[in-house]
Amino acid sequence: MTEELLPGLLIAVPILGATLPLALGLFRKRVGWSVAAVVLAIEAAIASWLAYAIFVDGQRVIHVLGGDNFGRQQTEVGGHDTEGFIVGIELVADHLSGLVVLLVALVSLAVLAYSRREGPRGNAFYSGYLLLTGGLMGVVMTGDLFNLFVFLEIVGLATYALVASGRSAESAVAALKYLVIGTAGASLYLVGVGYIYVVTGTLNMVDVSRVLAGEPAWVADVIGEGSLYGDPLVAAAFGFIAIGLATKAAIYPLHTWQPDAYAESPDAVTIYIAALVSTSAAYAFARITWTMFTPDFFAQSAAGQDVLNVFLALAALSVLVGSVLAAMQSRVKRMFAYSSVAQFGLIVIAVGVAVHPAAAGTRAVEFAVYGVVIHLVAHAIIKGGLFATAGAFRSGSGARLVADYAGLAKRRPFLSGAVAVLGFSIIGVPPTVGFIGKWYIGVSAVEAQLWAVVFVIFASTLLTLLYVARLLEKLYFDYLPEDAPPHAEASAELATDGGRGSETALPYGVASLVAIATIASVVLGFMGAELTAMLEPLVEAVIEGEPEVGA
Amino acid sequence: MTEVVADWRPLAAVLVSALAIALIVASHRRRNVRELWSVLAAVAKFAIVLSMLPGVLDGREYRWSMGMVPGLTDEFVFGVDLALRADQLGMLFAVLASFLWIFTAFYCAGYMRGLSEPNQTRFFAAFAASLSTALGIAFAENLLVMFLFYELLSIVTYPLVAHDETDEARVAGRKYLAYTFFGGGFLVLGGTVIIYWLTGLADPADVEGVEAGESTATVQFGEIAEPLWAVFEAGAAAELLFVVTFGMLALGFGTKAAIMPLHSWLPDAMVAPTPVSGLLHAVAVVKSGAFGVSRVVLDVFEPELTAALDMHVALAALAAFSFLMASFIALRKDNLKRRLAYSTASQLSYIIMGVALLVPAGVAGGLLHIPAHAFMKLTLFFCAGAIHVETHTDDISKMAGIGKRMPLTMSAFAVAAAGMAGIPLIAGFVSKFYMLVGSIQMTGDAAIGEPTAAGFVFASALIISGIMNVAYFWPVVYTAFFESEDAHDAKPLVEFPYGGEKASYGVLGRGGEAHADGGEPVTDGGSTDDSAGQEEREDSHTGEHHDDHEHGDHHEDGHHDHHHHGGAPPGGWVRTSPREESTWLMLLPITVIVTGAVLLGIVPGDLAFLDLVVEIAEAATGGEVAV
Repeated sequence: MTEELLPGLLIAVPILGATLPLALGLFRKRVGWSVAAVVLAIEAAIASWLAYAIFVDGQRVIHVLGGDNFGRQQTEVGGHDTEGFIVGIELVADHLSGLVVLLVALVSLAVLAYSRREGPRGNAFYSGYLLLTGGLMGVVMTGDLFNLFVFLEIVGLATYALVASGRSAESAVAALKYLVIGTAGASLYLVGVGYIYVVTGTLNMVDVSRVLAGEPAWVADVIGEGSLYGDPLVAAAFGFIAIGLATKAAIYPLHTWQPDAYAESPDAVTIYIAALVSTSAAYAFARITWTMFTPDFFAQSAAGQDVLNVFLALAALSVLVGSVLAAMQSRVKRMFAYSSVAQFGLIVIAVGVAVHPAAAGTRAVEFAVYGVVIHLVAHAIIKGGLFATAGAFRSGSGARLVADYAGLAKRRPFLSGAVAVLGFSIIGVPPTVGFIGKWYIGVSAVEAQLWAVVFVIFASTLLTLLYVARLLEKLYFDYLPEDAPPHAEASAELATDGGRGSETALPYGVASLVAIATIASVVLGFMGAELTAMLEPLVEAVIEGEPEVGA
Repeated sequence: MTEVVADWRPLAAVLVSALAIALIVASHRRRNVRELWSVLAAVAKFAIVLSMLPGVLDGREYRWSMGMVPGLTDEFVFGVDLALRADQLGMLFAVLASFLWIFTAFYCAGYMRGLSEPNQTRFFAAFAASLSTALGIAFAENLLVMFLFYELLSIVTYPLVAHDETDEARVAGRKYLAYTFFGGGFLVLGGTVIIYWLTGLADPADVEGVEAGESTATVQFGEIAEPLWAVFEAGAAAELLFVVTFGMLALGFGTKAAIMPLHSWLPDAMVAPTPVSGLLHAVAVVKSGAFGVSRVVLDVFEPELTAALDMHVALAALAAFSFLMASFIALRKDNLKRRLAYSTASQLSYIIMGVALLVPAGVAGGLLHIPAHAFMKLTLFFCAGAIHVETHTDDISKMAGIGKRMPLTMSAFAVAAAGMAGIPLIAGFVSKFYMLVGSIQMTGDAAIGEPTAAGFVFASALIISGIMNVAYFWPVVYTAFFESEDAHDAKPLVEFPYGGEKASYGVLGRGGEAHADGGEPVTDGGSTDDSAGQEEREDSHTGEHHDDHEHGDHHEDGHHDHHHHGGAPPGGWVRTSPREESTWLMLLPITVIVTGAVLLGIVPGDLAFLDLVVEIAEAATGGEVAV
């Protein structure tokens, strides 16, 4: 079995596997979790193999859907040599997508451990879960713009269903809100893709990049020397695509679906979608901006620069507004959701800095690329861990509001410690992995001399501190009035609603997920240099405007 | 030249107390074992640090880097190593912190048990962690590692500040986190990143040790100045950027050093138990801020560039303003710990000013003040804590005659206070002397030449501040020894409104409100109305603590509070002998440390500090400390 089949398998296995819980559910009742576990274990193995092929063997693995009838062939169409342009859809596993694929596979498996005791039950749920995993794999690996739309929709539909599986009225409303906004975003993305198709005649990311750059002979025949970057349709396309993906990644002011969706869905679902769904949208945005449009587009097109600056401004606003709103929340899950808005603002800032004209020729591009990738992975781990602790607190101690957390550190030392470590990681305290990403993003902004952005990036430390410190102070240094020992003062009034429920023990799966996330966030913090070494082919591709990474 | 030796000892010194954390938590049920771990860790730490001292004095530097761990590389992030280096400046701070921790560990045990404080395990564990991070700051090889430990220090000292778990403690903790993360996470990190970028702009040809095609970007102490100077001279970046970066780094570290206007976290943090205030806020936390500023001036920008930017005058002026203002404010404080807090803010600015003078004597004086002030201030805080434990008295106005009850403590206090004012034979005099000489020698550029007006201004500021130190410490000593509970004067600076009291304060009292705080003892019918009138004035004018504390709230052993309710018992202070006035756990540290302060004043050359400081100053400024 060669590596070329692996990308296809990575998508096919979970999608086909998604039918199994429903099918086998006709014979046995509670078969969903086991099926999902087996399927995702296979998935993780395949993803590891693929990652090995990419990072250790240095391959760029391509899988063309449909077999030998499709793919890149040397033919002539209308008297012009197609120069190996593709017919069909290819899946590309390179340094960027290989890493994210591994992340998706491992997180899927880990959240499954969480949901064994906690999560929603039911075969339909696990079918949706597997479908979502398959969709995410597709988003990450596809090299075709329209195919990306299809997989974005698959991801979206599966997510809407999973959010609504909370079975309460609020979950349904949250799912509906997400559906409306998400579909609007995806539609805008599709409009952008349409414009690209009109201009270039192809939908494959590598080929589009070549056409826009003016490389193929048949383009030069039509437009002469130069590139298509100045075409207003191209700038418009970038705008639409960026807006569409920004909606999916929940950038201010397109974020309004996220707090509701995260807060109202079941805890296991929240962990999963917080860690992966917006991550895949941000990945897609990075892929398209870096390798399809390339820094050359932004250097040559004034309209493109304007759009880019608007996006940088929106992302900076995300950071500020997201953190401030997070600090104002009284419900913990909503607080973490707004925190995600802020963190994705940082990531989008760095994506933009990498292609910004001010960064050209400096080391800003290099550091921005490192920052985006590391912070994407870091955020997935940290946010997943934080939502896992929030879920554990809710089911174990009945704590949903920040005020409910008062004094819980004494009863839940392990979970509280995890909240502390993960909280400091997201603030950006070294030596955690959250600091590494922020360091690279900060250095890149300084190298590009975009001072307003620099200010926002470093201010984000303080803003994040606002809500993390609030939570930690409640946990460790505050008490519920009825629990307060004689020397201490509780900050809240005496509750008249019967107070906290009784404590239950922490399930094994929950504890292991939280532990893994916490340990990973610190261990990866010491591997900042190794992670960058792995990403060098990606950096080279971005700097040179080369659409094929590691080729 | 310095020889760099690869060694595990810097890491061992940092980690030995981190290891102690686990042991402390594990033995939380057995108090004496738990306290033993603290003491053992402190002794071990000091031993490790001391073992490196002879080598460092000889010119060797001990370096540990992450690459020494099998399987890991040196690099922490791209282009920056995770490494610890014991050099002369680092050893100064490390020796000081580790030595003082030994005795603080004993003192903490006495204090916490004397008040039956809750959460003692958390307290001792956090203490051990903070010493770990303080040594990490001391030994950090570059700005990023220093930032790493700086942030960790803020985090692990937060539980100590918010220890009491009352509203006041929480508020103080929040303020503490806000200020230290602003200084650290915003200013220091921003400054570090900008330094990394600026040094990278240099041409490899101008920087020795860098091949063509390699990056010149660095944040390592001692290696930054060369590329930075090259970029500055080539004009590759605006001068404003250099100034802003210097300001960011200096203010970022200065926040922890309580430089004005970023000082206000320090008085509020006095809500913490006194050993916390003592070691951390007089020795480890604020000293790490001053240490950071010294690193910035001496090892990041280095005197030449600092002078070229004229930032040394700006920094010295800010420091001078800071120590004068803080001294003024201290005059008004009735709460002893708050007075000491403002005194700390003031004295820390001495260090910053000394270093900013950029002449060998000034730098030497400023750096010598680090250990000198530490010994003296720690004595003062330990005395304040002992007074609190034994008599529950926190306010100076209630300490009349307390010298009878606590002779040893108040004598140590008097000695240390004299040192703070710069009286000879005690540590503070030596450092102040060097600083005075240095400020006269200060010039507009880095070479020693004719004195300038600025130098004279700074010298005068130092002298005025010395006088003010006397002004705010003398009343405490005077009232303890030379006044008695039933016959003591009002303290105009503390009690009267701004502008002075309009009526003569010898006038008969204004009519009795029942004073619900225990009042003053009236031993005979002839007590003057002074005391009644005074009480009223104290309560209405002393602004710091407005707790109307209920009289019925007596202190039981299980009940800890820091409301200022103490004062002499109804029969007056009981005359006690030095051996019985308090537990040995507290008296021994006080005695040892005040003796240290005196030794530093009498034979400074025999204790390592002066030698280290002179070598550092001469190496950094290129001149000789000719005093």
